Amino acid sequence: MATSPTTVVDQLLAGLHLPDGFDAVAGVIREFLDQVTNSAIWTRYGQQSLEWLIGMNPVDRLFMLSALTLLLMLLLGRLRSAGVLAVLLYGAQFAALLSTDTLFGAPLAAAVRITVADQSLHWSYDALSWFFAMITIGTGFVTAWYAAGSWMRRYREAGRSARAFHVALALNCFGMLLLVGSADLLSLFLGWELVSWASFLLMALVGGPAAQAALKYLAYAISGAMLILGAIALIYGISGSFEYDAVVAAIRSMTDAQVWTLLLLLGGGFAVKLGLLPFHLWQAAAYAEAPGAGSVFLGAISARMGLFGIIVFIVGMIGVSRLMTLEIPYTFMSSRELIAWIAALTIIVPTYTALQQHDARYLLAWHGIGQGGYMLLGLMVGDAVGSAGGLLHCFNYAITQAALLMAVFAVVHRTGTADLNQLGGLVTRMPLTFLVLLFGIISLAGLPPMAGFVSKWMVYRSLITEGMPLLFVAAVVGTLGTILSVYKLIHNIFLGQLRVEHQEVAEAPLSMLIPMLGLSALIFLAGFIPGPALSWVAQVQGQLGLPVVPWVLGGIVDPRGGLDMIWLVGILMAGFGVGALVFYGFGGRSRRVHQLDNYAGGHFLTADVHYQYSDNFYAGLMHLIGPWYRGSFRWLERSLAATLDLVSFGAEGLYRLAQPTLLMLAAAVAMLAWVL
Amino acid sequence: MTLELPVDLLFGLNLDLNLDLTRVMTANAIVLPVVLPLLAAFLMQPLAQVSRFLARLLGPLVLTLGAWIILNTWLEVGPAPFSVAIGGFAAPLGIVFYADQLALLFALAVQVFTLLFWPGLGAGAKSEVAADRQRAPRRDALALLLASAATGLALSGDLFNIFVFYELAAVASFGLVCADGSGRAWIATLRYLFISAFGSVLALVGIAILYLQTGTLNLAQLAQVAPETLQGPIGLAAFALLLIGFGVKAELFPLNAWVPEVYATAPARVSALLAGLVSKLAILVIVRLLILVFQQPEASQLLLVLGVLGVLTGEFSAWRAQDFPRLLAFSSIGQLGLVAIAFSIDGTTGILAGTAVALHHLIVKSALFGLANRWSGGLDALTGAAKGAPRAAGLFVLFALSLIGVPPLWGFWIKLLIMVGLVQGGSPLDLLALGAILLATAVEAHYLFRVALRLYQPPVPDRALRLAPPARWDTGVAYLLGACLVVISVAITPTTEALRVLAQQTGDVLLYIDTVFPQPLAYKE
Repeated sequence: MATSPTTVVDQLLAGLHLPDGFDAVAGVIREFLDQVTNSAIWTRYGQQSLEWLIGMNPVDRLFMLSALTLLLMLLLGRLRSAGVLAVLLYGAQFAALLSTDTLFGAPLAAAVRITVADQSLHWSYDALSWFFAMITIGTGFVTAWYAAGSWMRRYREAGRSARAFHVALALNCFGMLLLVGSADLLSLFLGWELVSWASFLLMALVGGPAAQAALKYLAYAISGAMLILGAIALIYGISGSFEYDAVVAAIRSMTDAQVWTLLLLLGGGFAVKLGLLPFHLWQAAAYAEAPGAGSVFLGAISARMGLFGIIVFIVGMIGVSRLMTLEIPYTFMSSRELIAWIAALTIIVPTYTALQQHDARYLLAWHGIGQGGYMLLGLMVGDAVGSAGGLLHCFNYAITQAALLMAVFAVVHRTGTADLNQLGGLVTRMPLTFLVLLFGIISLAGLPPMAGFVSKWMVYRSLITEGMPLLFVAAVVGTLGTILSVYKLIHNIFLGQLRVEHQEVAEAPLSMLIPMLGLSALIFLAGFIPGPALSWVAQVQGQLGLPVVPWVLGGIVDPRGGLDMIWLVGILMAGFGVGALVFYGFGGRSRRVHQLDNYAGGHFLTADVHYQYSDNFYAGLMHLIGPWYRGSFRWLERSLAATLDLVSFGAEGLYRLAQPTLLMLAAAVAMLAWVL
Repeated sequence: MTLELPVDLLFGLNLDLNLDLTRVMTANAIVLPVVLPLLAAFLMQPLAQVSRFLARLLGPLVLTLGAWIILNTWLEVGPAPFSVAIGGFAAPLGIVFYADQLALLFALAVQVFTLLFWPGLGAGAKSEVAADRQRAPRRDALALLLASAATGLALSGDLFNIFVFYELAAVASFGLVCADGSGRAWIATLRYLFISAFGSVLALVGIAILYLQTGTLNLAQLAQVAPETLQGPIGLAAFALLLIGFGVKAELFPLNAWVPEVYATAPARVSALLAGLVSKLAILVIVRLLILVFQQPEASQLLLVLGVLGVLTGEFSAWRAQDFPRLLAFSSIGQLGLVAIAFSIDGTTGILAGTAVALHHLIVKSALFGLANRWSGGLDALTGAAKGAPRAAGLFVLFALSLIGVPPLWGFWIKLLIMVGLVQGGSPLDLLALGAILLATAVEAHYLFRVALRLYQPPVPDRALRLAPPARWDTGVAYLLGACLVVISVAITPTTEALRVLAQQTGDVLLYIDTVFPQPLAYKE
């Protein structure tokens, strides 16, 4: 049999390029599939459908499955089993993505194309598309799993529509798959708008403050989209075509002024989505207020679409070398340094804003903005290691942020609050969730042995080797802020004194724990063996025309200083081992007491005695740096809104004139004066 | 063999003759959609004395007949334009109707939309109906008058006639706006009356200038003599005055100060007709003049400037609007500014984009005003309306998305067409217009979705009772128009192609002249 499930899985596994050790796992899967294949139902219906699916163009198959997910969620989203179905469908999408083999293989165009009045929209997958699509579908998969069980039951009980949630998630995935596969300006804009509106839907689902945040997002997003549309129109005016080939040629022939215009329009438009300064104010509230699982999805991948746009146009089409030649008049800076500094400020300002947050969701969402800065910074350095670090951080950050938000929303699920001043001591109640959060914050802060360390290290290293020490300092200042705030996060939720009202809190439900633990394992693995992820990144670099990172299984090799995570983690673990030996070997013994039955300073501490406060964390630090928070960007935003209001007031005044005929007369006189 | 040939020829000739006769007969029927509603309007009051029921039925019947006649004519005569000399008096002495695809399309739209938004159809609660009974015949007569005048505007081939129909439409709309007799509506109508009258005076001056310069008001003849007599400042002055005059109904910028008050106080269906339909016919007149008589770049620029100002002031004002009909009114000003910008683009692209955006707005804004029938009053009162009327709320979101121009809806392709046209124009003014459209779209998205989010908020308990869902008829019409929008969005390529053909025909000045003044066959060959 040419096309049986077994052969399909074999091909998929071959596409993954897994090390030999995984053969045993493959064997188990194969055995299971053989049993399925021999069943009667399969021979009757399954075989035909499979052959039809196999015969399709792989990219079409991916789109079809994604559209099918959307359709099924629209039809069946109300059912209790819709969550499980969604997980299966995202899994199928993942398989379909692997089967395109566009990462290591050649780029593949979709057979689907739409022709609209002598313009044609088409799609094509290459390594870059694959990379972002992989993160998207993966996030969709874990999010759907997280939402499939207990979480969704609670969501329904609150009187909310499960179908609307499933549809919003599927629409987001579908839109992103279209966007990252776009192969001309029109399909790009189509995907862009689809993604923008789909995330608006996901944000606005629960109403109340979420709807307000979503509306603010919309104002930013549509302004960004209009910048992009303006850029598309200008490019079309020069190239006469929406095709990427013509666009690249047109950009090459453009004058510096034209490229600057394009850079400002496109850069501005994509920066809004990415949340770069000064367009970052919408993001934290919009992502944090979204329904839990939706927040996980948005936080992990949604803003990355802005980065995708920047990679395609600014890194890919305009090119970092062209950026370096674009001088800002009357300064010593080039446009590349400008972008790099914007990225650096985007790391610092939102991260220190995160430090001030008292809501775990907001704290993480503010961090998400800052982490986008590292990715852009790495890409702007433009060398092999830096750009690889930037790209790799997309993946590492996605798994990290997803795990962190899942842990926080698991706490919300159990305790009903994300207020960092209302929590504490949950480590004994929710130890596994604590572990997930611990893995996540180590990775987010960029410390070994977790995934985040590898990508951040690469960005730091490239900043030093390429001679940008000030940017390096800025990046490190940002990381300091991250370390401080993630410590606040884990301390205020899990450490310290347990609150009386949380005595009965149980560990997160299994349906939520499984994806959380899976992601934690991935965070560790991607830190321990960064090779596979680096190999994807290397493919993306090759396709973008960037220098390719010299990767090995454990990290990178480079005469100026490589990185081998396997060694590093080994040494780290050995250190821990020695520490444990010392501790336990010398009779270090601990006795468990109930958290509400404590003794300190000669007193018995009962539940009503607070011996540990988490309110106003970092009061001392804030005493020092507090005055630096000027709220300048909020002021800027408010003054823009006030200006808009004033202009609108003026415009409306024209329609309220008591003597409209005078205005007409004036217009008539003006027009006559002009023509005569 | 030798004998058969003449016989064949003879038959062929006969056949041709027959065809031609049918064609002429059918073509003459195009007068009926103008005449019949006019007649019915005058018969309305006497008929109401005899039978109220028949009087109520008369309007819809006449409009259905009108729509059928236009459709039939269109199918019979085919895509080529034709002209009809009224009463057999040939142009330029007599009055002509000129019917090309554009004119037929809008004439048909007049019949269909007046029918869809017929004031008496599917009227809601019983109490309303009772109060309505007294006013119904008068109102129906005015609506028929409006339909007749609007059809006349679409078809007329000379400027004098256009002016007459324009005034007729104005009178009918004054009556319709204050039909429900509220004090606010009276005041709004008075304001409308002042502006409209002043505009008419200016338009009349413009017409007088044209007549002094050329000695004719027939559009075809004007088109023939325009290159010699109307170049330069005199012609432009005439155009400016005409633009101001017809711009009043076309909701162009400084002439539209009547719009928000009128639409906020008039019955929603009347607003739908005025904003959706009548404004487009006024624009149509301006476009005809621009193409046939004033083919000068300055004239287009004038239209462009007014369009840009309309887009900006309209959308910004809508951003501040506190009630739904006023929001729609300001948004309509903005959209008509967009129509003006589109028509100011050179060549077929401009006409294509302009027609498309006009049709789009006709469909979308009419439907939205239909939904506003029960959703008048402050925006706060709309909180939670989606609970009681999920379909209407869903349709609102669909129309809002298309107005903003979200792909793959029709609105997006139109905006793209306009933008590409502007970029290819390339002058600083064009790029300014492009920027204005982008800015206005961002503002538009914000205020439309502020309303959409309000619709989907949980309802405020005591308010929910007061907020009735839109009438079934209005929702039905909105459904129909929404379906139209979706179908067009799916069949975007054939639609654009059809509109391109239409635009080419509209832009062909020689075709217009040749159709109105057919050359003898021998001369032509």
